[in-house]
Amino acid sequence: MDLFLQLLANGLVIGTFYALSALGLTLVFGLMRVVNFAHGELYVIGGLLGWALTEQLGLNYFLALAVVVAVLAAIGYAVDRLMIERVRGQGEEPTILLTIGLSIFITNTALLIVGTTPQKVPSPFESKPLFLGPVVVTQSRLFLVFMCAALILGAHLLIQKTTLGRAMRATFQDQMAAQLSGIRTGRIYGFTLALGAALAGAAGMLLGSIYVAQATIGGLVSLKAFVVVILGGMGSFAGAIVGGLILGVSEALWGGYVATGYVDAIGFALVIVMLLVRPYGLFSKRAERA
Amino acid sequence: MRLSKALPLGVLGVFGLGLVAAQAQETVKIGLVQPLTGSVAYNGTTDVNGSKLALDEINAKGGVLGKKLELIIEDGQCKPANSVNAAEKLIQRDKVVALSGAFCSSATLAVMPVAANYKIPLITGVSSNAELTEKGNRWFFRATETDALLAKSFAKILFDQLKLRKVAYIGVNDDWGRGGVAEFEKQMTALGATTVMKEYFEHGTSDFYTLLTKLRASGADGAFVAAETQDGSIFVKQKAEFGIQTKVFGVGSWATSDFIKLTGASSEGIYAAVPYASTMETPKNKAFVDAYVARYKEAPGKYSAAGYNAINILADAIKRAGSTDAEKIREALTKTDYEGPNGKFKFDAKGQASGFNVVLVQLRKGVPVVTATTSVEQ
Repeated sequence: MDLFLQLLANGLVIGTFYALSALGLTLVFGLMRVVNFAHGELYVIGGLLGWALTEQLGLNYFLALAVVVAVLAAIGYAVDRLMIERVRGQGEEPTILLTIGLSIFITNTALLIVGTTPQKVPSPFESKPLFLGPVVVTQSRLFLVFMCAALILGAHLLIQKTTLGRAMRATFQDQMAAQLSGIRTGRIYGFTLALGAALAGAAGMLLGSIYVAQATIGGLVSLKAFVVVILGGMGSFAGAIVGGLILGVSEALWGGYVATGYVDAIGFALVIVMLLVRPYGLFSKRAERA
Repeated sequence: MRLSKALPLGVLGVFGLGLVAAQAQETVKIGLVQPLTGSVAYNGTTDVNGSKLALDEINAKGGVLGKKLELIIEDGQCKPANSVNAAEKLIQRDKVVALSGAFCSSATLAVMPVAANYKIPLITGVSSNAELTEKGNRWFFRATETDALLAKSFAKILFDQLKLRKVAYIGVNDDWGRGGVAEFEKQMTALGATTVMKEYFEHGTSDFYTLLTKLRASGADGAFVAAETQDGSIFVKQKAEFGIQTKVFGVGSWATSDFIKLTGASSEGIYAAVPYASTMETPKNKAFVDAYVARYKEAPGKYSAAGYNAINILADAIKRAGSTDAEKIREALTKTDYEGPNGKFKFDAKGQASGFNVVLVQLRKGVPVVTATTSVEQ
């Protein structure tokens, strides 16, 4: 029983982290219909920038997090206005190729500047064990779970309650109607990618404080994020959370009771089942436009 | 007047061009295939650093065969397919006379037939899967320990000195990790230890809590872990977070300065079996460490020494061969008697080195302290 409780706790914690790292991806896809293959690399920039600001420049953790969010938002905005803008409306393939190219560019630039060494973002919280009955967690992990929840809630409120969020939703429901009612849709696209990039960057820095920040982990991050997004349904916030938790818990239980060796296969097995049974994921809003 | 001014310049120019051309022709090229991207990229880069240090030392002493030695480096990503492509490119386009690589055992295994096909000597200072030297590939040489040799040298120390009886085996899920676990389990079981857990994890795993939960439940008094810097450092850090006291004995690059930096206080008391530690006390090693620290501002790790040794052994063989003819270099390699920072290297008929030292270190306050030294014998 103790074993089960610990495994469940591990799974839920990791699941939240998966949800966080997939959030930016699902948002950009759901709103813009852009499959952002450079998502993992934006996560990497967030992690490495967070490391540089805290470890190298000695900035306060939360101040550094704010800088990371701002810088990544600026990068996201620039990428949309300078690059994706040019291929908008030309179907999905050009954007996919563009983001793949971007991911290669970012990885290699990061390798050139920072090198291959894994880096650690110093956490403001203790990483000593904390015993909750039979279950062990650390302060830094609990803090991250809280931060994930806050970010998810914040992004949700931004999209549902603010003028900007309404403009975003309007733009992606009907661009023409949105333009007619005075929304500058070009900027809205930019802001949406900025939001996606900021979420990816925040995830990179937050998770960099318990794992590592490294130039070459972008691919792995993207891969897991895709699993979460497909499980939960493209573009759904609730889906990202549930998808992340399902992935985390099933990996933990499979690893705990069967074998840890092939734990990465679990996610993809789930994806195959999901594509066969519910191809649009658990929470997809099947609002495909004609 | 004009002519007299122009002439020397022209002559200089022609002379200069000739010099450049002569230099371009007169290098002896060695190809180096290492992972420069991917999850073991950090380790691959330290191998390259060691190789470059050896290269510059050799060239400072006049190179080989009266020519400069040149190193051409390709990224094999520790993947079999990419490493084969890199080797093909080095052999066909760059016309290298020998290869060093390809880090991961599975990648080296894939490059071996390529080397044999083109008749190019291939040396590895890293790949330790025992089977590589059992393939009957006469072009392949291994200047490092195998899992089997390491297990044989260390199992007794683990059993007698660390008093491990109930052992958990954890390895990265590839040829090297599985090979290491299998060999150590065999040797430890022969001595009377019991296996309480055997698990593998993927390269680039970021969360070991599931494994640690199982480790805690298994009641092991010692854990054998086969992992490289990145995976190993995360494991050690999370083990400390998890609050379990099990002794950890690691193979892979566990005594490097980066490992210690990444793990911080959580590496305290960890044991590691390494073919090389920067704290080894031989004159050769002191000189090597000084030169390495002066150049890279950090102490050399296991793979820095591996790269350094591999290039030195190749250069030494080319010198003794007296030509860049592949067959002659291979012939010379079989007669290698080289002394590196970590002892003497000789190759047997299968291309396996022996005679060099391996050490058991314990990390104490961020310093790998040598607690036992033993030499690798056949």
